[in-house]
Amino acid sequence: MKTASAPSQRGPDSVNHASAPALDYGRRRWRLGDAPAAILLLAPAMVLFAVATIYPLLETIRISFWDIQGLRKPVFTGFGNYILLFSDAGFRNTLLTTLWFTAGVTIISVGLGWVLAMLCALAPRQTLVFRMMFFAAFGISETVSGYMWTGIFRADKGGLLNSFIELFGFPDFAFAWLGNANTALWALIISSAWSAVGLPLMLIFAAIQSIPKSVLEAAYMDGAKPLSTMRFIMAPLSLPGVRVAVFINLLTALRAFDIIYVLTNGGPARATETVGYFIYRESMTQFKLGYGAAATIVLLVAFLIVSAPAVIQRTAGAK
Amino acid sequence: MTARAPLWVIVLVGIVACIWMVPIVGIIITSIRPPEGTMLGWWRMDHFDLTLDAWRKVWSKYPLAPAFWVTVKTAGIATFLTMLLTPAAAYAFHFLEFRFRRIMLVIIINAFVLPQQVVIIPLFRLWRDMGLIDNIASVLVPYVGLSFAWSIYLVKSFFEDFPKELIEASKIDGCGPVGTFRFVVLPNSLSPVFAVGILQFLWTWNALLLPMLFLRSEIPLPVLLARISSSYEMNWDMRSVAAIVTAAVPLLVFMIFQRQFAAGSQTRSGAKE
Amino acid sequence: MAADVTSMFEMRRRTFLAGAGGLALSTVAGVSRAADEVSGELAVLNWAGGTELDMLHNLQKAFVAKYPKVIIREVNVTGQGDMRPGMRTALMGGEKVDLFVNTWPAFRKELADAGILRPIDDQWKAYDWDKRLAPSWRDLGSLNKVTYGLTYTFGDRSGIWFKKDHMAKAGIADMPKTWDEFTAIMPKLQKAGFAAPIAVPGKYWAHAEWFETLLLRTAGVEVSAKLGAHQIPWTDPAVKTALQKYATLITGGFCGPAADMLATEWDAAADQVFQANAKNFILIGMWLNARAKDDYKLSEGKDYGLFQFPGLGMGHDDTSSVDSKEYVVTANGENPKAADAFLDFLTTADAANIIAKAGLASPSKEVDASLYGDVQKVATAAVANSKVQFVLGDLLPGDLVDEYRVQLQKFLQDPSDANIDKVLAAIEEKAKASY
Repeated sequence: MKTASAPSQRGPDSVNHASAPALDYGRRRWRLGDAPAAILLLAPAMVLFAVATIYPLLETIRISFWDIQGLRKPVFTGFGNYILLFSDAGFRNTLLTTLWFTAGVTIISVGLGWVLAMLCALAPRQTLVFRMMFFAAFGISETVSGYMWTGIFRADKGGLLNSFIELFGFPDFAFAWLGNANTALWALIISSAWSAVGLPLMLIFAAIQSIPKSVLEAAYMDGAKPLSTMRFIMAPLSLPGVRVAVFINLLTALRAFDIIYVLTNGGPARATETVGYFIYRESMTQFKLGYGAAATIVLLVAFLIVSAPAVIQRTAGAK
Repeated sequence: MTARAPLWVIVLVGIVACIWMVPIVGIIITSIRPPEGTMLGWWRMDHFDLTLDAWRKVWSKYPLAPAFWVTVKTAGIATFLTMLLTPAAAYAFHFLEFRFRRIMLVIIINAFVLPQQVVIIPLFRLWRDMGLIDNIASVLVPYVGLSFAWSIYLVKSFFEDFPKELIEASKIDGCGPVGTFRFVVLPNSLSPVFAVGILQFLWTWNALLLPMLFLRSEIPLPVLLARISSSYEMNWDMRSVAAIVTAAVPLLVFMIFQRQFAAGSQTRSGAKE
Repeated sequence: MAADVTSMFEMRRRTFLAGAGGLALSTVAGVSRAADEVSGELAVLNWAGGTELDMLHNLQKAFVAKYPKVIIREVNVTGQGDMRPGMRTALMGGEKVDLFVNTWPAFRKELADAGILRPIDDQWKAYDWDKRLAPSWRDLGSLNKVTYGLTYTFGDRSGIWFKKDHMAKAGIADMPKTWDEFTAIMPKLQKAGFAAPIAVPGKYWAHAEWFETLLLRTAGVEVSAKLGAHQIPWTDPAVKTALQKYATLITGGFCGPAADMLATEWDAAADQVFQANAKNFILIGMWLNARAKDDYKLSEGKDYGLFQFPGLGMGHDDTSSVDSKEYVVTANGENPKAADAFLDFLTTADAANIIAKAGLASPSKEVDASLYGDVQKVATAAVANSKVQFVLGDLLPGDLVDEYRVQLQKFLQDPSDANIDKVLAAIEEKAKASY
């Protein structure tokens, strides 16, 4: 812990504070050093975080080495669970399905949310009602809205989608959407994206609202049309919001369970099972906690490999 | 901006929003029609009766009022704590320098990958050993602790746009790091803080898995309403009522607090002199 | 920090066994002085919802009327779909209850192995329940000749439901009794406009019903029981024969395309038969009765009926698949006397009639059978005259059930002989690892 104060104390980026360039972005050490302030500001949050996350994470790592089934006595199995996971062809398919599902939901929900946010930002007051509608879709329980989607995709002529198709004169195209592996996956992507759009919309809208009015005023003065305003001013300046939206939606899709349970139960014949569903099924339904834990660790490591370089690079110092 | 609001934008958004509402309209209609009418689809007009039966049944059979207050308490406290602690933490991560800063950030961001069901069993054992089952703290600690996985990143992202001149100015004025946070950064960051608040409120209000396992005597609305569903009875009219009742409050909160988003831009424009 | 997982379970088991021994002794001694001794709080773990919960509440009310000194405390477990995880967590978490309902034999085994259940053989003798319950019900609630559960309701899982006006439309006067008759009426129904008469709900688990009853009819109860205990492999020719018979229905075009089957849950399939009038037959449990009456507003016996699964003529036509619900008592409960009294109450006429009035079947000999509706009468009579076997799917251990259902879905997608071999081999693989 750094005590007293000498202006010559060096920061991690080896720059003398007296003449640090503006690139430092304000992250200079104050006279007393940052550590005490950091502790004060961080401690309560980090304690709660550690109890709620670090402790379960350590436990998860631990039980991933045990074979636990229901209330049976657990049996130590070393890397057994992991070996089983990777030798299961079904699990590999699950990983692939997860990739498709997650990518599909994230791209569609964030893309659409972004465009809608920019449009709404052009007319914030008038679009309030509409923004609330999208948020309602986001806020309603996924189990119930999922049930509505099963009604839409229902196999017989009773499904809303099939009724529409018949209405427009193509009765042969009526299909059992949830009974075929490919269409079922798309049905899942669409219904998940439907719920998920509300979040990027809200966040990116907030990001755009944070753009200083002066910037937008200047553009208007210069005669910019709405579309150009969107493309050249709102889009780039709302990137922080977009990044957060991608982060949250991507990880929510990765862990998704409810919607899959209601629409397809992971079927037909496991075709729409994602890793999130797999983990839920193993941990909660089968109560094979060790196996579910192993799958979670695999997921975590995969994400770590992808995200850690990005995070480290982005937080290195200058923006 | 309002003077320039082009009509086509409003119409376009409106059309998309109305299409978006189809499933929600479905839920509302399912709740006010008898089950036999909606079985083949809520849009069917074969036997069209409207009835508030499901609403009445839910109201009379289930103790909604106590559950409502429990939910207000848990969601309210969790939201308050998150809104209080997140900006402070995000500020520390973004503007301060200390050892392990980056590693901690990597851990926090990756924590969001953990699915809830993986978290609850170890926590359950911990609470049981500490005698905290059926105590409100057993859900509050995970509600707030788990929120940091996404909330810190959210607020931190917004800090990337924060005008450095303000920080410089406060340093010149002799403000320490905590003071800068309290008087300069926080007041100008209401937008992301309220975004965090709205999301946290929504998620804790709707939370089902955690309170289902940790709370016994005083249960929140979603857990109470989950009892409406029984595996062998597809009582979707009552389940739709449950969904609407549960979703109403967060929607109201969103409506009231989304105004705070616009507040950000006013104060920001003061920075550019 | 949480104690080590192994020692925790060991500790619990020792405690339970010790407690169980002591309680068993005191229970037998105390059973003779019934009504005045039964008092105090009776803790019940409850996971039921909807109208079933209403019926259980009625039972509890009637019980308290008989033993006024008892106060019932409900510990509610909420869950989605399968209630077992919630129950496991509650029991693991040290929740002390006296009794609860179980409907999965595999779960009964899991609980018994973990020392959570208290055997009721002594009570069976002391209360003389053999007078009111046939021995087959006792067997249904037993594990390795030790009785744990008292069955209070059962359901016929080998009954095929149909709508009377469909049959009239196709000119079918009597319901088929043999397999050949069954397949013979299919073309008649198809000519009457029903393209695929059989509704097979393949989305979750209900497609297995056909296979299970077919297995009983082709190979009998013992073979099915052996399969459930993995004493014979899934690749056994008897199992293959059952699937081949199932295949004839699919390849014959009576069930519709696979995608339709896999997209349909049992309630949607039932809607197809009873509301959309697009299909004719569904093989599902007795809970459809409540749905038909309450939701479809049909009249039992008049608008719809049930006929028992047709006979295959292979010597096992007097078999039925059944499900049942039983009450089990815990080894660490605080009020074993009241718990036993409740079990006894379930066998009496009062309780049996409450159950019958709710549209369910009671195994008690004292039930007033006139309370049963027409459909219920047919089902109960069929079961009474059969050798019964519990639903195979509920006998299998956790992860095997899942594999079993998924493989059967693959079977629906391709019912060819070659695929049947593949499917059975896959289930057998998983079975080897599960027992």
